[in-house]
Amino acid sequence: MPSPATPADLAAALLRAARDGPALASCTVLSAPVGAAVIGAKMLVPADAPPLGSIGGGALEAAVAERARAAIPQHLVATIAFTPDGEIVEGRRAIEAAQAIVEILIEVVEPAATLLVVGGGHVGRAVGEVGAILGMDVVLLDDREDYANPERFPYPCRVICGDFAEELERFPINANTYIVLVSRGHLVDELSLRQVAERGPGYVGMIGSKRRTRTVLQHLAEDGVDPDALERVFTPIGLDIGAETPEEIAVSVLGEIILVRRGGGALPMSARGRELAARGRPQGAAAG
Amino acid sequence: MPNDEVYEALAAAFEASRPVALATVAQTLGSTPRKTGAKMLVREDGSFVGTIGGGCGEAEVWQEAMEALEEGDPRIVTVDLTEPTDGEDKICGGIMRIFVERLEA
Repeated sequence: MPSPATPADLAAALLRAARDGPALASCTVLSAPVGAAVIGAKMLVPADAPPLGSIGGGALEAAVAERARAAIPQHLVATIAFTPDGEIVEGRRAIEAAQAIVEILIEVVEPAATLLVVGGGHVGRAVGEVGAILGMDVVLLDDREDYANPERFPYPCRVICGDFAEELERFPINANTYIVLVSRGHLVDELSLRQVAERGPGYVGMIGSKRRTRTVLQHLAEDGVDPDALERVFTPIGLDIGAETPEEIAVSVLGEIILVRRGGGALPMSARGRELAARGRPQGAAAG
Repeated sequence: MPNDEVYEALAAAFEASRPVALATVAQTLGSTPRKTGAKMLVREDGSFVGTIGGGCGEAEVWQEAMEALEEGDPRIVTVDLTEPTDGEDKICGGIMRIFVERLEA
C-alpha cells in the first residue's frame, strides 16, 4: 500500500531525486473518465521501495506503478494511456478510445548524467563539448596543467588537474556516470580503467585500436579484474560511422552513450540508409 | 533538460505556503521547442521559473497558469505551432499538449 504523503512530502522527494538521486518515476493523472481517477493525482515510484502518494489505488495504480518502475532504467518521460482497470493502450487505439482511457504522465526524475572524460587532449575536449550540448554534467581530468586548463574548454564543465589513479579513486561513480577514456596513452587508459571498471558505471568506453585495447583488457584480466566488468567495456570506443576528426569521434562516442542510455537499433532510420550500412563503409574511411 | 530549478522553486513555494501553477509538456507532435517533461512554474505574482519553449505558446500557457491559480482546476492546453504568426515563417511546426495544474502544500 502506498504511504500517505502530503504535497510538501512529494515536492521534497522530487527535489531530492532531481538533485542527488536516486531516480524516481513521477506519475500524474492527466485525464480520466469520471470516477476512474482524480485528474492531477500524483504518485512517486522509487526503483526498489513502495510508492509515495496515490493515484487512487486498485488495479490501475498497481499497473501504473509497475510501468513506472520499468521506466526508471529507460530514463523515460512520456504520457502513457491505460484503461481504468490498468491495461496499457497503445498508439491509435488510445486516440480512438480517448473517452475511456486514463492518461498518465510518467517522468523519471534524476540528476543530470555525469560524463567523466579522462584525458583533456583534442578528442577529450570534443567529447566534453558534445556531452555539454546534450545537457550532461561534464568533468574533464588530466594530469598535465597545460591540458587541464579551463580555458581550453569553453563550455560548461568542471576541470580536474591531478594524478589519474588518485583522482579516479575518489571520484563518485554510479549507474548515472558515463566514463570516456581518451588519455594520451594506453598506460594511462589501463590504470584508469582499473580504477573504474568494477564500480558499476553506466558506461565506460576506451579509445584505441583493436589490438591495443585487447592488450589492456588482457592485462586487467590477468590482474584479477572481474571478467563481467571487462566484458561491459566499450572498446574500441564509439559507433562505426567512419569518424575521422576529434569532433566526429566525439559524435560517434556520444552516439554510443545515447544508444546505451536510451536503447535503439544504431542503424539509419531510412531503408536506404540501412542498405548503405549493410554494404559497408564508404571508401577512404579509417580502419577502426 | 533537468528541471532542478523548477523543483527548487516548488519546494520553496510550499515552504512559504504559497500556491503555484505548474505547466508540464505532456505530449508533443512534430517539431517543438521543448520536449515532453519540460516545465514552467508560475507564481501568484506572475513571475515564473523554467520554460516550455518561449514565444507565443509560452505566453498562452502562462495565461492559463494564472487562471488555474485562481480557479484551481487542472487543464490541458494544446499549443499549435503549425500556424504561421504575423507573416513570419513558422519556426517549429509542431503541436504540444501541456498539463497545467495548481499545486499547494
